[in-house]
Amino acid sequence: MADYNEKILDIHDLDITFNTTAGPVHAIRGVDIDLMKGETVAIVGESGSGKSVTMKAAMGILASNAAVNKGTIEFTYHHADGTQETVDILEKDKKWIRRHINGKRIAMVFQDPMTSLDPTMTIGKQLIEGMVWHFKTPKKEAWEKAIQLLKEVGITDAEKRMKNYPHQLSGGMRQRVVIAIALACNPDLLICDEPTTALDVTIQAKIIELIKRVQKERGISVIYITHDLGVVAKVADYVNVMYAGKIVEKGKINEIFYDPRHPYTWGLLSAMPDLNTEDERLYTIPGSPPNLLREKTGDAFAPRNQFALEIDDKLEPPMFKITETHEAATWLLDPRAPKVEMPEELKARIERMKKEAEGYEES
Amino acid sequence: MKNHENASPVLEVQGLKQYFRVSRTYTVKAVEDVSFKIYPGETYGLVGESGSGKSTIGRSVIRLYEPTDGKITFAGKDISGKISKADNKTLRTQMQMIFQDPMASLNPRKKVEDILGEGLDIHHMYANRAERKAKIQAILAKVGLAPEHAARYPHQFSGGQRQRVGIARAMIMNPKLIIADECISALDVSIQAQVVNLMKDIQEETGSAYLFIAHDLSMVKYISDRIGVLHLGHLLETGTTEEIFSNPIHPYTRSLLSAIPSPNPIVEKTRISENYDYRTSGLDYTKGTDHLISGSHYVKCTDEELERFLKH
Repeated sequence: MADYNEKILDIHDLDITFNTTAGPVHAIRGVDIDLMKGETVAIVGESGSGKSVTMKAAMGILASNAAVNKGTIEFTYHHADGTQETVDILEKDKKWIRRHINGKRIAMVFQDPMTSLDPTMTIGKQLIEGMVWHFKTPKKEAWEKAIQLLKEVGITDAEKRMKNYPHQLSGGMRQRVVIAIALACNPDLLICDEPTTALDVTIQAKIIELIKRVQKERGISVIYITHDLGVVAKVADYVNVMYAGKIVEKGKINEIFYDPRHPYTWGLLSAMPDLNTEDERLYTIPGSPPNLLREKTGDAFAPRNQFALEIDDKLEPPMFKITETHEAATWLLDPRAPKVEMPEELKARIERMKKEAEGYEES
Repeated sequence: MKNHENASPVLEVQGLKQYFRVSRTYTVKAVEDVSFKIYPGETYGLVGESGSGKSTIGRSVIRLYEPTDGKITFAGKDISGKISKADNKTLRTQMQMIFQDPMASLNPRKKVEDILGEGLDIHHMYANRAERKAKIQAILAKVGLAPEHAARYPHQFSGGQRQRVGIARAMIMNPKLIIADECISALDVSIQAQVVNLMKDIQEETGSAYLFIAHDLSMVKYISDRIGVLHLGHLLETGTTEEIFSNPIHPYTRSLLSAIPSPNPIVEKTRISENYDYRTSGLDYTKGTDHLISGSHYVKCTDEELERFLKH
């Protein structure tokens, strides 16, 4: 297993605004994320919560109308001779990032494999492109390596597939190819932005198992961006729950799933379809995500929160520490707050989950 | 479980075959001998992976394709093949469709009121402007949108709201049957729940039947009364939601069920989903016949295959 003590990515107090024709949109409002080597971190939230923007900032591929107001993104990597270097990605220019980071040390897998592959190039050409550009690998050697990669991600007839175009492959195969391309330059960090949302459930399960296997074999770190908590349960070591550009709860996977503290996390967990109940109706979080064009004082989640306190409308809650690793930003955790328990249904469900989990040893 | 003893089905599909001839030597057999019934007020969930033919069935039912073989009966009338103009007209009001991508299925240059009113205009379903407006306002309220939304364009809505417009457009004609083709797949999990709940509420109120097409069994469980599992054009297993979920027989159904990730990390981390590959499974779908398991639970397979399934 990889060395767990080395921090590879440290996002600190990131704050991003987009200048649009309708006015400034404050998309990221102070995000902190740490990632250790070999670990998997999941970022969970609804669309528009800022999870993709955070990771695009880490890749240096923000849209041109984005302005970073403050914060740092420190990325640590090793040179070929083993010396360690830490850089702040936000201070580097685009050209430097392209040369040294994108594809080489941080690779990204996007949601829709059809739009992230070039329809006019064969699979093989797209696979060797990065190797030839970053490492000046001779074409022949890169070709051999590409075939190995295709085999690694579970594509049969790899030699034949190298000459295929993306439209000749099925959705699941295409996503496998995208993963192979991401792995081509041996990156230290793999960012998966909703890698399975466009795929069928059966293929989703296989792609997730593939990413897990590759991660274990290569000891790389993975950041998962998703809105599906079932996927998170399968892959993540740590979870960050994001709402309206802020992280509202973070912790180890078991802390988030078996002992959630933020009302938004309660809502997300309750909204997951449950195969073990006879319930006729699904729980939904009332209302819709906030419009970030209009800044709101206090807690952004308060209007949708049935447990909201008076102070929620006036002052934004800080992160309250629950354990060493578990934090949540809700006034409910303040010692002065009235005692509020999570909804009964969710409590029963977590009890049932715990019961089911007995007998399974954590591996 | 709803009682169908006295009711006659609103839709009956018998031995539907849908082939597409690609060239002289190659024909895609998208749907092979599929039969099912949908009763008034119930939801029939059609599940399967992409390419299994589930959308094709929906499109054949609504007459976007001409069936190669088989019979489709809607409200007691045969609607496969040529039909009279009058029949076609009633069909177009009583059978409606909701599509997967709400952005692509709504005309970006029309206001919501005109999108919703288009069907009313064509079929002259109002006496004056005031009645048209009242009908549109009523349907907007029903799907949880505000009256001022009528004057907006589709791009001014969020994904969940757009799908509500799509549902409103289908509902405004008071149809007997709605075909919902992957209508929640493009939405966030929490928004999916809202849309599913909305569709259930509307069904309770209007008594429309749904043909709900999806690949995600976990959501289908909440909305469907009965489920059909489709693979490579064959309807492999069909039964009530309860029968399918508590006692899945066919290995393909089982693999679909095991692919659903559960939000329970300790269990989920160690669990590997069941694999199913038709080519290596040794099954032959074309030889299968329907075998009754219990109640209304049928599995399509041969006798030997059934024995093998039951041993598991």
